[in-house]
Amino acid sequence: MGLKHTSIVAALAVLALYGGLIAALAWFFDVTSFTQAVSSERTLFSVRLSLLAATVSTFFALLLAIPAAYALSRFRFPGREAVDTVLEFPIIVSPAALGAIILIFFNNPLGEWVQANVINFVFAFAGIVLAQFITILGVAVRMLKTAFDEVPVELETVARTLGASHRHAFFSVTLPLAKNGLIAAFILTWAKAIGEFGATLMVAGSMAMRTETLPIAIFMRLSSADIEGTVALILVLSGIGLTALFIARRQLSRAVHA
Amino acid sequence: MLEIEGLTTRSGGFNLRDIYLSIGQGQCHAVLGPSGSGKSTLLNAVLGTLPVLSGRLRLAGEDITHLAVEHRRLGYVPQQLGLFPHLSVADNLAYSARARRLPPGEFRPLLDRLVEITAIGHLLGRLPATLSGGERQRVALVRALAAAPRMVLLDEPFTALNESLRRELWWLVKDLQKEHGLTVMIVTHDLSEAYFLADDITVLIDGIQEQSGDKTTVYHRPATVAVARFLGLKNMFPARTTQAGNVDCPALGGHLKVKESDVNRGDAWLVIRAEHVALRAPDAPPQTGEARFTGHFETVLDLGESAVLNFRIDSGVQLEVRCGSRVLRKYGLKAGDAGQVGLPASDLFVIPSSPANP
Repeated sequence: MGLKHTSIVAALAVLALYGGLIAALAWFFDVTSFTQAVSSERTLFSVRLSLLAATVSTFFALLLAIPAAYALSRFRFPGREAVDTVLEFPIIVSPAALGAIILIFFNNPLGEWVQANVINFVFAFAGIVLAQFITILGVAVRMLKTAFDEVPVELETVARTLGASHRHAFFSVTLPLAKNGLIAAFILTWAKAIGEFGATLMVAGSMAMRTETLPIAIFMRLSSADIEGTVALILVLSGIGLTALFIARRQLSRAVHA
Repeated sequence: MLEIEGLTTRSGGFNLRDIYLSIGQGQCHAVLGPSGSGKSTLLNAVLGTLPVLSGRLRLAGEDITHLAVEHRRLGYVPQQLGLFPHLSVADNLAYSARARRLPPGEFRPLLDRLVEITAIGHLLGRLPATLSGGERQRVALVRALAAAPRMVLLDEPFTALNESLRRELWWLVKDLQKEHGLTVMIVTHDLSEAYFLADDITVLIDGIQEQSGDKTTVYHRPATVAVARFLGLKNMFPARTTQAGNVDCPALGGHLKVKESDVNRGDAWLVIRAEHVALRAPDAPPQTGEARFTGHFETVLDLGESAVLNFRIDSGVQLEVRCGSRVLRKYGLKAGDAGQVGLPASDLFVIPSSPANP
């Protein structure tokens, strides 16, 4: 078999692997159980909590990631290499370790002071947002940097020679041209936040109707041997994630062809 | 208008050192050099996108050495033109006015006039991606000029165009320069572009300012061997100047006269441009001040408008000869033919040897 056919078989094997795993859920799929599980107050709470927490964490992540990514894309500054390297930190350490690090921080004097005087993170909604924020920040910066790299610096220079301040050039030229990449980055980081489990479990715990995001709800259903309910929640989470991916791919495709 | 005094800057690992330039109001100055010579680095330092490590930049008497790009009031047309792809042509043209929050009365008359001169009125509603190469060039030029800059910087903007379109745009730049009294600095690697557009030329090679001066002097009297080689001069021979007007050049058979010799006695290069080597009929009488050589034509290449010939002198030295195609046809020359060429003293010149011209 030639290289072409080998590589195509490998690509199709990837699809078969993930598709097969999702298809295997059908063995335990039951319409009645599915309807009951997805319409229960507890599931709806998990969906609402997940959507809200992911949206808030993604908003804060982009708030920091957009200027940081722009700096990495455009400027050379002391510590640039270190910043670029640390973006992969959340991927290198497991989400559980990341959550443990956050938890340990709140047991330090500074963390305790923050907990007591600013906002309570541990076992609270803010903890879910923080865990997701820390997990997705690096990915968000990396994706946004790629979006900014696609916009030639020369366009900003031209804008500035035409009298625009650096800030005006950024908002009137760079940001609109990176728009599709930014939207795709938002959707993908949001989808990653929705699916975040390890760090959230460590920081916010698994309290029903309080810190029970969709991934944690799946974990809790499976722990109590509710397979049909677990399958229902997995399908809900997969549906949200795949829809987000579909939209993101369309945006990225527009960005490439723009 | 623009004074560059001892400018030194760095881009990545590339150093540009000690540049001195002066561009007068309404003048066009070409910065000429091969790829990687530092032309764009110099332009970026003038633009303000590269920091000046030492030296000074003055524009209309104002020290702009450390002034932000947006406050320099320089028009800029980069190689890729830099049209904003998400804005229509009209919005591209009005960008400067909007960025500066100018009332329409202040920028409309100039913009309308430029749109009329360049005949781009029918393009205003279109996006840059839908324009042809020539249309995009015109829009980029008008956008730069509509901001009423104190000076315009052009960074090889015509490189990607075909010959006829390039010439058309050269004329457009000339016309705009004349009508608006523009001061222009153009960066190019193309001698014909520099010669067409510029009053003065600076040749940069490897980050060194090899020569600056009016275009005729730079073209006819390159100051260094590096400039001569960049300009494509092939007929360069080691020589020794003995006294004013006399040169000893063993490669060309000994003593030759040159019309001018401001070179001190010593080692030098004797140079003649290929188009100044004269083809002589075998029975042509000798001419005063001309060194005559016999030999044969090794290659004869008719380029349509002109012709290039390689002439091997009997002593073994090779000379490049350029002439019009009609001259070639008149003599009926072909490779292998014996012939005679003359080197007029008035066209021979010397480049002194120095550490820079070994």
